[in-house]
Amino acid sequence: MTHGMPHDQVHDGAPREHIFDVGMLTRVEGEGSLTLRVRDGAVVQAQLGIFEAPRYFERLVVGRTPDEVIDIVARICGICPVAYQMSAVHAFEALFKVQVDPQVRALRRLFYCGEWIESHALHIYLLHAPDFLGYPSAIELARDHRAVVERALAMKRTGNALVARLGARPIHPLTVRVGGWSRIPTRKELQALRPALDEALATAQATVDFVTTLTAPEFKREPRLVSLRHPDEYPMNEGRIVSTDGLDIAIDSWRDAFAEDQVAWSNALQARTHAGEVYLLGPSSRVTLNAARLHPLAAEALARTGLAEQIRVNPYWSIAARAVELVHATAEAIDIIDGYTAPSRAYAPWQPRAGATGWATEAPRGLLFHHYEIDERGLVARAQIVPPTSQNQAAIEADLTAFAPSVLALPHAEATLRLEQLIRSYDPCISCATHFLDLRIEPADR
Amino acid sequence: MTKEPPAAVWLLACGNSDRRDDGAALLATRGLSASQCGQLDIDDLLGAPAGVPIVICDAAAGVAPGLVVTKTFDELLANPRGPSPHSSHALPIDQVIGVARALSGEPIDGVFVGIGGADFGFGCGLSPAVEAALPQFRAAIEGLV
Repeated sequence: MTHGMPHDQVHDGAPREHIFDVGMLTRVEGEGSLTLRVRDGAVVQAQLGIFEAPRYFERLVVGRTPDEVIDIVARICGICPVAYQMSAVHAFEALFKVQVDPQVRALRRLFYCGEWIESHALHIYLLHAPDFLGYPSAIELARDHRAVVERALAMKRTGNALVARLGARPIHPLTVRVGGWSRIPTRKELQALRPALDEALATAQATVDFVTTLTAPEFKREPRLVSLRHPDEYPMNEGRIVSTDGLDIAIDSWRDAFAEDQVAWSNALQARTHAGEVYLLGPSSRVTLNAARLHPLAAEALARTGLAEQIRVNPYWSIAARAVELVHATAEAIDIIDGYTAPSRAYAPWQPRAGATGWATEAPRGLLFHHYEIDERGLVARAQIVPPTSQNQAAIEADLTAFAPSVLALPHAEATLRLEQLIRSYDPCISCATHFLDLRIEPADR
Repeated sequence: MTKEPPAAVWLLACGNSDRRDDGAALLATRGLSASQCGQLDIDDLLGAPAGVPIVICDAAAGVAPGLVVTKTFDELLANPRGPSPHSSHALPIDQVIGVARALSGEPIDGVFVGIGGADFGFGCGLSPAVEAALPQFRAAIEGLV
């Protein structure tokens, strides 16, 4: 739904100006707004405003032990807490040179599969699909397509059950610790999830078929896509940071290529390359950069859609990338459970040491980078957390700027709605983006 | 063995006690028979006993700090931009209720009781305005259960 304040301004002899103003974006996580100003067919201002309050997590973790940090950063987001825990724990383990058991590693991928399943199912069916089907919200979709919404909820429950089995609860899980887990599941406990996952895999395949029946608005651009890439597997917790324009750097070296900056209209930092270029993270980036590493069932599903190129160039088709990743996550979860034998110990011993460390993992919405400095007492002295929505903000604004002229001929309310729909294509998680510490206030006369 | 009488209402206390005023409903329902849900979800409503009215209590956005508001589900659906739970996760309350109604074979009806919050930052304890109004918030909930 659009709750904007549409107004066109026409003055004698003055250029015609359209202002698209969505005061409160709906069906996105958190609180944000859109202001787009178009003059004589050209966008003169595109601002994705994020007014959800800053949350200061980077300061909250200072003086804390690594295991406390893992618990605290999970609170940044109710939808993707696993991502925050995974980026933090891998950063600490890299610095402390901890070797984790292969089954511990597999359980962490399983943990991430659960989060991808619940997050993608929610977005595809309840947040994004109403836009494609012409419904103002999920309510009308549920009335007309009850079975569609019911399968979304069933998928989400399966993802939640996976996270809860490993993390002791579905939201803000408790069991991740440096070196492994505070508790590991038995094979029998994981096998109990198999029937639901078998059903989820069938639903994920049906989801791929469902999204291919949708019609997306025409929009083509050549984006710079960034994600992790691992030599042998679809990226989640390990690999290198790569891009469609040739970037290939170590997983701890995000700062070598990118930097955050603040803009006046947003409570979230924006990230760009050091050359000032925007880039995009998330399912479309992962699928494009890692298609060869998809689970065979997901690779077959991607081929079935015939949408690989559209996923790369048209942000609306991110819904297809999410559907393909749903297949991947459910299929890999099944494989991990089938191959699981409980490790002999839940976690490897470790000793803290002073130094700096960084790590990135793939949150449902894209690459999530953490950087920590650890002091001589083994406590965090400084932290930087760069969530995917912060990194995507500038790319979203660039896409809005490119897309807006194509909807100018539409009635204002419809054009505004189409712009809001474009924002939903990126599945922004605004609460995540407002975690930062520094708020610079500059004098108005600058 | 004595059989417990069926519940008169299904009480859902929403919020997060680590986020200051977001924990108001959890405090106000202490000692009451309530299901706790961090973020109100469609499944929370579908899980309510059939035919039993639902009371959702939560810190509210769009309301003056400490002000207690009561809205029926129908009123929330009619005015999605009015007072609503603070929880900002993806689906707003009108859509959670609307989807649950569309999926449930049983009527889903009830009341939202909210208290305006002042501080939803990280940490425990309520802001002074919400702390002072907590007895009224609890009284409003008790009046419905």
